[in-house]
Amino acid sequence: MSDARIEGYARGLFEIARAEGTLDEVEDELFRFARSFESSDSLRSALTDDMIPAAKRLAIVEDLLGGKATATTTQLISMVVGAGRGRDLPAIIDTLVARASSAKNLEVAEVRTAVPLSADQQARLAAALANATGRQVNLKVVVDPAVIGGVVATVGDTVIDGSVRTRIDQLKSRL
Amino acid sequence: MNVLGIATVAGRLIAGEEFGVDSDGHITSHSWLLPDKAELIWGTLSSLLIFGLLWKFGGPAIKKGMAARTERIQKELDAAAADKAAAATEAAEIRQAKGDIEAARARILGEAEEQAALVLSEGRARLEQEIADVRTRTSAEIASMGSRAGDELRAEIARLSHAAVDHVVKGSLDDATQQELIESFISRVGASA
Repeated sequence: MSDARIEGYARGLFEIARAEGTLDEVEDELFRFARSFESSDSLRSALTDDMIPAAKRLAIVEDLLGGKATATTTQLISMVVGAGRGRDLPAIIDTLVARASSAKNLEVAEVRTAVPLSADQQARLAAALANATGRQVNLKVVVDPAVIGGVVATVGDTVIDGSVRTRIDQLKSRL
Repeated sequence: MNVLGIATVAGRLIAGEEFGVDSDGHITSHSWLLPDKAELIWGTLSSLLIFGLLWKFGGPAIKKGMAARTERIQKELDAAAADKAAAATEAAEIRQAKGDIEAARARILGEAEEQAALVLSEGRARLEQEIADVRTRTSAEIASMGSRAGDELRAEIARLSHAAVDHVVKGSLDDATQQELIESFISRVGASA
């Protein structure tokens, strides 16, 4: 999909969420859904396979998010998947998150950890990243077992890697 | 009585010589050895006449026969000489052929020995080259196998090491360690400003 179309979808979703007054929550849910979409081959193939009828793809979204996410999040994802743009869902959501963060003068900070972070840890980490980058950050935490341990933080083009995965890879390279 | 006796008696009769006859009817003479003069003369003349006639009429035939015989003998001698010469020539040719055969035999043997020596030399050279090639190839294969075995061993060690690292690290990452790693990260990032 072209950047303009992704931008258009992102702007539409952003406006809907903001109009619904649930932008922060929807943005967070969409972000986590996008990361799950990227890491799960079966989910990605189910939502992007043109041979699967749109109704069935929407039913899959409903099964996944029904009762676990806000209705707005479910409807927005259903809208994108129903339009046959499931393949561009991560790009659309990332653009939406960037737009939402920009609206709040924040920089998106994607943080990957092996275990969930507590609210206190997220607050202290956001403060630490703001202190390190000189910009206020919109923290997006992704639980990724591939990290194994530690934290990987990406703020714009800056990557701060404190993961066990990377240390193990370095050790393997030396071996 | 032979022809000469008859001619002698005939001569005596013609000359009017008297002969005696014995009781048995044999003619007798005055000498047991020599004839009478007339008989001698007539006999001599008769003999000369006969020899003359023989010489005149028989001589050419005899000469011709002798000449023919001589010619035939000469021809036979010539033929024998020719045969002898031919035999000598043939013998010479045989001797020459024998000599040629000996020379050819010697030449063939010499060439065969040279060829055998050449084949042997080439065979040795080829064998030495093949041995050298085999040695080189074997050395290369041994080196390659050693290198490959080393690579495989290193790869296997690396794989086992990776598995061991994953196992040990993941096994040691309990919740407390996870929290410690996160807190350490937050502290380090916060202090890096």
